[in-house]
Amino acid sequence: MNFYTNTDTSTLPPMNQILIFVGLTLICVIGLAFGLHTMLVGHHHTLGTTREVPWGLLITPYVFFACLSTGLCMISSLGQIFGLDTFKPLVTRTVFLSLIAMAAGLLCIALEIETPWRVGYYALFSPQPFSNIWWKATIYSLFTVFTICNFLLLMIRREKFARVFGFIAFAVVIIGNLNMNSDMELLGSRGFWSEGYMPLYFLSLSALTGCAAILLFNWIGSIFHKQSLRSQDEKALLATGRLFFVLLLGISYFTIVKIMGGFVPKFTNNPEAMALLVQGDFAKNFWIGEVGLAVLLPLALISLTKGKNVIVLALAGISCLIGAYVLFYDLVIVGQLVPHFQDYNVVDLPQYYSYSPSLHEIMISVGVTFFFLAAFIFGEMLFKKIYIHDQYNI
Amino acid sequence: MKGIQLDKLKNEGPETLSLKERRQFLKFGLVVTGVFLGGSIFSLTSAQAQGAYRGGKVVPPAGQFPYKPHYTMVIRQGQCIDCELCMEACVRTNSVPAYGYRTTILERRIPNAEGEQERAFMPILCNQCNQPSCVRVCPTGATYKDATTGIVLMSPKKCIGCKTCMAACPYNQRYYKEEDRAIDKCNFCFDTKLKESGGKTTACSAACPAGVRIFGDLTDPETEAYKLIHTRGNVFWVLKPESGTLPNIFYMDATDA
Repeated sequence: MNFYTNTDTSTLPPMNQILIFVGLTLICVIGLAFGLHTMLVGHHHTLGTTREVPWGLLITPYVFFACLSTGLCMISSLGQIFGLDTFKPLVTRTVFLSLIAMAAGLLCIALEIETPWRVGYYALFSPQPFSNIWWKATIYSLFTVFTICNFLLLMIRREKFARVFGFIAFAVVIIGNLNMNSDMELLGSRGFWSEGYMPLYFLSLSALTGCAAILLFNWIGSIFHKQSLRSQDEKALLATGRLFFVLLLGISYFTIVKIMGGFVPKFTNNPEAMALLVQGDFAKNFWIGEVGLAVLLPLALISLTKGKNVIVLALAGISCLIGAYVLFYDLVIVGQLVPHFQDYNVVDLPQYYSYSPSLHEIMISVGVTFFFLAAFIFGEMLFKKIYIHDQYNI
Repeated sequence: MKGIQLDKLKNEGPETLSLKERRQFLKFGLVVTGVFLGGSIFSLTSAQAQGAYRGGKVVPPAGQFPYKPHYTMVIRQGQCIDCELCMEACVRTNSVPAYGYRTTILERRIPNAEGEQERAFMPILCNQCNQPSCVRVCPTGATYKDATTGIVLMSPKKCIGCKTCMAACPYNQRYYKEEDRAIDKCNFCFDTKLKESGGKTTACSAACPAGVRIFGDLTDPETEAYKLIHTRGNVFWVLKPESGTLPNIFYMDATDA
């Protein structure tokens, strides 16, 4: 297929679409400028992280987007790899979303680490195979390559080859997701991450955020193009909505386990952290974000409309995504706030360490999020015809 | 458009499923199971399984130490007066910046049997663990165990600044040194005082006026550290044994020595 044939002005996106893209890109650039500034002057001067709490807000978008990408890949695989007809109309847009989500995650972690320019060389020439971080960086980089191949092959309508790359990307990203728990689990004596249910929790969360993003961004796509959803798309979204509902029930179970851990110490490996989350300074985050926005509101919205209203499903999706973001923030931060020598009767040791994100951390997170949004709009402007093509050829 | 009304569909029973559909379902299940199991293996299993805590064997038996010389430090906690000369010597010897530290002294109030609180000073430094979690998490091998001495060292040029080692250290003994653009930590003065003294002492140990920090070699029966650890009746402990890191810094009360 020749991509350079349709270059007459009639195929250019409308001006308002371009303006939206430019606006989003501008916010992204401003956010990333804070990242560049941080890189130049040193993290010590701009970030809120400390010796005691070395991982801050910037780990959250990384984990969020990596899990989102995993979830999107899982849902796209339903149509592309496992051949479920209902999900086929979603495949190409979902693969693209998965790709840009991972790119956003990698961009964020590149700005989070102090010397990202050393990563490529030393990860390759001085690898440490016992490090989950090394595995995860390698796996996610490979995933990005395979997903690019998958998307390019979908663009040129080589569905069979695309499916092969899609399958490899799917297998690889699930492995990466299972690694997520293992590397977080090594936070010293901080057992917050070492709960037995964590691997399954991460997978479920990934699938959940994947469904939420599909519901939201397909709806936004239809608004963006000022077109109502086609019947196949609507059918696919309703099916995704049902899957979303089941996953919400699954996540409810894990949330209940967290609540039990927060109130009854014997149900958790790290009662101090869980108490801080459920009853302490992070209680607002937990009850409003993790319980309300991530689980209860979406469940209520879907139940009230019996999962048959695409707009309500999209609203449930955005609520869940915001809640999941808060959830990942809590997951990263709370476990680190339990002091190292809390059992040693040390004088002047606080009950919990403190951490507040700095302006730079907030702006970098905003920049990365808007990178994702700008890339999505870019995709809508450029690949609209390819997205529509899905239903006929896979 | 309406979705599929599952609740209104008639149950057709499994016998109506075609062979192709059964195969597809089985394939789907096998793929999901295979990927999950494969992922679990690649995720290097859980950190707990990798832990070094082996039934309470905190110190290997005499003659079975994995390094030679196997450097250690015995800290006679009860003798510490918090004069901080050790900290000053460390800063001076190893160019430690004002915002960081390689060693520090924590003040403790320990409740005794009479219900009163005893004051104690606890010097802490990198525990040079035999199973260091910092080494395991480092993605580029920037932090590693020296093959000869077992000291946990840093190769600053390889450090990417991900700070995972800081998060993983149960003793909070790492900090980011801006000047090197890398993590810094105690290395028993490997490239400074230890080298100068021919492997006999460290800056903090040499500076201590109260004989709190006893540096030595666990494989050399002539060193004071060896004698203290292997004297019957001496009670010593390590920090956070539940972390499973097998530390090489041992604590004891001064009265035991």
